[in-house]
Amino acid sequence: MRFLSRLISMFLVAWCFFTLAAAQAQSAAPVRLAYLQNDIHHLALWVALDKGFFRDEGVDVTVAGVFRAGSEVAGALGASQLDMAYLGEAPATIAAVRGTAHIRVVAQVNTEGSALVARSEAAITAIEDLRGKTVAVPALSSVQDVLLRKALASRGIPAASVNVIVLGAPEMIPAMRAGQIDAFVAWEPYPSRAVTSGAGRIVSASADIWPLHPCCVLAADKAFLAARPAEAAAVVRAHVKATAFIREHPIEAAAVAAKYTGISQSEAAEAIAHVRYDAVINVEGEREYLRLLIQLDFIQIKDPDAFLDDFLGVAAKAPEAR
Amino acid sequence: MDTHLKITGLKKRFGVEGQGCPVTVLDSLDFSCAKGSFITIVGANGCGKSTLLRIIAGLEEPSEGTIRLAGKPLDRRTARLGMVFQEHALYPWRTAVENIEIGLELKGMPRATRREAAMEYIRAFGLEGFESAYPSELSGGMKQRVAIARALVADPELVLMDEPFCSLDSQTRNTMQQFLLDVWSRRGDTVLFVTHSVDEAVFLGDEILVLSRPPARIADIVPVDLPRPRDRTSLKANAIRKQILNMLENRVSAATYLGPAMMEALGTQEISRESE
Amino acid sequence: MKKISLLLPCLLVGLWQLACSLRPGAYDLVASPAGVLAGLADLCLTGMPPGRLLPGHILYSLSRIFFGFSLAAACGVPLGILSGGNPKARALVMPLIDFFRPIPPLAWIPMAIIWFGIGFRSAVFIIFLGAFFPIALNTCIGVATVDRGYLDVARTFNAGRLDIWRKVLIPGAVPSIFTGLRLGLGIGWMTLVAAEFTGVRQGYGLGYMIMTARDLQRIDEVMAGMAVIGLIGLAIEWGMTKLAGHILGGRRVGQWIRI
Repeated sequence: MRFLSRLISMFLVAWCFFTLAAAQAQSAAPVRLAYLQNDIHHLALWVALDKGFFRDEGVDVTVAGVFRAGSEVAGALGASQLDMAYLGEAPATIAAVRGTAHIRVVAQVNTEGSALVARSEAAITAIEDLRGKTVAVPALSSVQDVLLRKALASRGIPAASVNVIVLGAPEMIPAMRAGQIDAFVAWEPYPSRAVTSGAGRIVSASADIWPLHPCCVLAADKAFLAARPAEAAAVVRAHVKATAFIREHPIEAAAVAAKYTGISQSEAAEAIAHVRYDAVINVEGEREYLRLLIQLDFIQIKDPDAFLDDFLGVAAKAPEAR
Repeated sequence: MDTHLKITGLKKRFGVEGQGCPVTVLDSLDFSCAKGSFITIVGANGCGKSTLLRIIAGLEEPSEGTIRLAGKPLDRRTARLGMVFQEHALYPWRTAVENIEIGLELKGMPRATRREAAMEYIRAFGLEGFESAYPSELSGGMKQRVAIARALVADPELVLMDEPFCSLDSQTRNTMQQFLLDVWSRRGDTVLFVTHSVDEAVFLGDEILVLSRPPARIADIVPVDLPRPRDRTSLKANAIRKQILNMLENRVSAATYLGPAMMEALGTQEISRESE
Repeated sequence: MKKISLLLPCLLVGLWQLACSLRPGAYDLVASPAGVLAGLADLCLTGMPPGRLLPGHILYSLSRIFFGFSLAAACGVPLGILSGGNPKARALVMPLIDFFRPIPPLAWIPMAIIWFGIGFRSAVFIIFLGAFFPIALNTCIGVATVDRGYLDVARTFNAGRLDIWRKVLIPGAVPSIFTGLRLGLGIGWMTLVAAEFTGVRQGYGLGYMIMTARDLQRIDEVMAGMAVIGLIGLAIEWGMTKLAGHILGGRRVGQWIRI
């Protein structure tokens, strides 16, 4: 009996300890950010972290998660585990429409920067050749998925004639090498890596499918925006600064990218060259996304304009650029 | 007397020399009995009765001594023995008849023949209708009947019984004792029956082997000269019971007070109230 | 299935529906029971990903578990029997098994993808890892802890080594073997669904279905998918129990079975 009571008191002490530790972490409350694993689109965040831009703007941040897909990020935002995050515009839109996350876009992150890559041996040189083939996308309704379907639709190829499967981005190149998929659509640096490693060829850059298409956005939880607007604005300013930095100092930016993705600096530089880093919110692009998502039957929405105003909100005007 | 079973100088030590205190459980047992005799073995708890039986059955090796059965040294690989255990040890995954026939099955007898032999025992032991029942469906008394049938079915030269009735209620126990005697009187097996109940020993046995506390020796061999069928309450039966109980109590009192380890440490000195 | 077993689930579902009706959440983080049923209908009629219907997902997942589990049983039972009955074999094999066992099958996924890619063999491998260890261990323990009394009985009949294996050790271990099989199947099923999260080449699988539903933020379909997985797991469990009862002689064999 004594042993049991000692065990219970030890357990209670441990429990108190962990609760206090967690509470401690809470009260310090830096802004919780997140990005997608190995997604070179999110380089602005890495640069801002690396060069201390957040500190310069007077805001304390922490990376609260690294995710595999935008829908996961949206889920975490909805569960109040994140305050602001970098994710694809399509999953962000879907989450906002369905109400699983209450978020608003506060800045653009990049446009373009994805590609359709085909296996070297497969006889795929154009989108039309995808008929009957297996193509991987990082997630259903991701930007890459939407791009693929847009490309197929524009050439009159029914989506059902292509075997589209969902696969985590890191799994795509090995799967292609093993011949289990014929092609994939993914964000940089995966297309560049596929090419340099000889696993595949770029069939079509996303810029060719939809020029200047918006890709990733910086989204924020609405409750967070309401409660801590100053910090949110500071984060946006740091993001804008970092975006400009990438354009002005691509080599240094490549070095930072190499750190966060584990690829070589030259590969990073190659990947960066295919991405447009731009902090200005592309309203028309988002309108097009809405249209596509509705067309693909991923969402239904009664009043697109009202939604857009709210979703792109206050930042529908260009954020302060330096 | 035609000696059927002869045990000479049997010793059993547990523990290895040089590692802790080796305990001598059986110390120089000499004993013999005739074919067809019913020998009961009594002694205090822990005095090695079960060990003795297990050695004879070949489940343990003696440290010293020899056992001869029917004039030849007891070769465990070829001897035909039947043993009934305290916890019947029936295989729960086999039906009653399948349990009975296992001795024959292990000897390679074909299915039809051994099934017929087993069924004979089912009928003889009053288990008809239960041959396809599993042990969990049988009562305690029935289970022991199956266990006894299992021991007897392969025609053993020696039957060993290790307190087979101790887990039964006294009513069933008495019935089973009578049942056992009936079976034995018809078959004439040589039986070694271990029990801690003096009543049972007196009721069943031709001779009673009384073992002392460990290191166990044969304290006495008490012949039971009562006519069968036996009367549990006869004066002579009472006298024999009393004689044995005295023996046990005298020899046991110190042992229960001090414990076997202490007794061992004190050597073989007799500490008892017994007056020489 | 006792009627009282339905009481608690019905109660919970009722409370859940009530809670959802009272607070039509601005945050659609949970679907109501009605929503889940609607999601289930969508899964059967429209499919998720669109065009891939629920029965197809179920079929693929079941076939994966069938092969993975069979492989695990085929390897685990003989290995368990051997190491349970033979101390040398046990000393040879057990340390290795004890080393690999704590590694979660999901931790093997990167290796599985490198070795087998994202196809059928990869999934079977992961399931095998999940199911193998409970099967092998329970079998080993079952053989090793067969009642000594049963062995004594056989020895008094001078049973040879082979007979002791065939007629005592293995039958005596059967309840433990079945426990191991049940555990292995359950764990294999759980592992399968999680393994399908990383992607499957055929584009069919219950885990895959849930993942894509999540991509589209279709919480109702996610929950419907979870319900399907749970129900199938339940059905498998129930099937195993019935099978065990049938093979092992049913309730007649009594307490020995411990089902």
